[in-house]
Amino acid sequence: MVELVPALLRQELARLAEEDNRIDGRGRWDARDVSLETDCLYNAEGSAKVVIGGTVVYAGVKFELRTPWPDRPTQGSLMCGAELRPVAGRKYEPGPPSPQSIELGRVVDRGIRESGCIDMESLCIVPGEKVWGVMIDIHVLSDQGNIFDACGLAAIAALRTAVVPAERFDVGEDHKLLVNGTPIMASFTRVGGRFVLDANEEEELGGDERIHITLGDEGHLHSLQKGLKGVFTPAEFAEIFDVAQKRCVELRKLVAEKEGN
Amino acid sequence: MMGGYGDVQLLNDDGSRLDGRKVDEMRPVSIEAGVLPAADGSAMVTHGLNVAVAAVYGPMEAHPRKIQRQDRAVIDVRYNMAPFSTSDRIRPGFNRRSREISKVTAEALESVVLVERYPRSKIRVEIEILAAEAGTRCVGITAAAVALADAGIPMRDMIVGVASGKIEDTVVLDLDKAEDNYGQADLPVGILPNTGEIAFLQMDGDLSPDEFDLAMEYNFKAAKEIHGIMVDALKRKYDGGEA
Repeated sequence: MVELVPALLRQELARLAEEDNRIDGRGRWDARDVSLETDCLYNAEGSAKVVIGGTVVYAGVKFELRTPWPDRPTQGSLMCGAELRPVAGRKYEPGPPSPQSIELGRVVDRGIRESGCIDMESLCIVPGEKVWGVMIDIHVLSDQGNIFDACGLAAIAALRTAVVPAERFDVGEDHKLLVNGTPIMASFTRVGGRFVLDANEEEELGGDERIHITLGDEGHLHSLQKGLKGVFTPAEFAEIFDVAQKRCVELRKLVAEKEGN
Repeated sequence: MMGGYGDVQLLNDDGSRLDGRKVDEMRPVSIEAGVLPAADGSAMVTHGLNVAVAAVYGPMEAHPRKIQRQDRAVIDVRYNMAPFSTSDRIRPGFNRRSREISKVTAEALESVVLVERYPRSKIRVEIEILAAEAGTRCVGITAAAVALADAGIPMRDMIVGVASGKIEDTVVLDLDKAEDNYGQADLPVGILPNTGEIAFLQMDGDLSPDEFDLAMEYNFKAAKEIHGIMVDALKRKYDGGEA
């Protein structure tokens, strides 16, 4: 996509919206095909590759031994970061982490953290002395729209396949990381005046605000984020929330299938 | 080289290597072209346990303007290791090692790309190492070459990254992690497979002139082999599956 004519693109997207159509012919609540691959990176303790349409994202989990915070001597820690490096697309430039990449990493981080799927106490080795720090790094390699959902899915799938490398650090035997739940993100973008699920690159370029919803196994909300300029009504939110519930169930099933293998 | 000479056994009693390879045998290589839809050209190279992805953007306008060259394109290479690519996590961002590798890789690619065809423009080459197990700069060069070809950028020849080295006083092709850490020398080169020229050269350790000659012989042999795999990858993408 050349960013020369966003105004014309907006007109076209508005016209399509009136006909209840999308620029790639999808229905309003239809998502592009999603493929998920896990355990795909040799040096990561847990890893996943997610492809949604032309969007390609990798996530890798690493562990480190650290001293716990003085006020939480029996708790380990979790950190999730995303990188939007120039490899991901023409519009990305080298330099220190951009506000977009920080937002992306933090929204994914909140969904996982707040769902409580990682019990921080289970990361404790010696209270007050030694705990595990779990780090999820997300690497966006190709951005053709909706990197948020791709990153959220890659992060939780990588985490759910992670093995704690206790032997390498001389603190016991290697074991699967305990993960109680599969928080999933669903993202919506206002395109041509109405919200759609899983916007592609052109829809994001000619669209307005986006809303990210992360839901836990029971359908509870764990993280919300509204990004970019624009306003929405409670009725609009209610509508996308219903779609998000269905979408999250589907993607959760996909993660479970991969683990079954 | 890290470690020390001879403090770790790297060759079995029958002369084979710890992973069972012969001295002149490289790790398995597989290549796929066109893996990143957002890029103008891209490739993924799996070399042993190494995984490198390269994306090419351009030729595009060169800015800031001070980097423009009136008679040719500039090649802007970024070699980067993902935080999860190594045994211990690496902090994101550039370091001295990745800057140096980026610089010499750019100069190697400038030697094969017909840069004079695109004055005042820039070609961006992004090399991302997703899994690192010794030899990533070479794998990155190979990936970059396939990505450049996939982007339709004219080149004098392909360029293939290969390395040989020395372990336990024996010259071997394509060092793995243990051999790199505890070996005696490493000689990574970028070879133009058709012209037989060399566009990338580094070395560290200790090699006699004879050992250097043998290491180079191994490198040329491996470059020919990898070149075949590179061509197959491009044919698979552009010739409808007929490799």
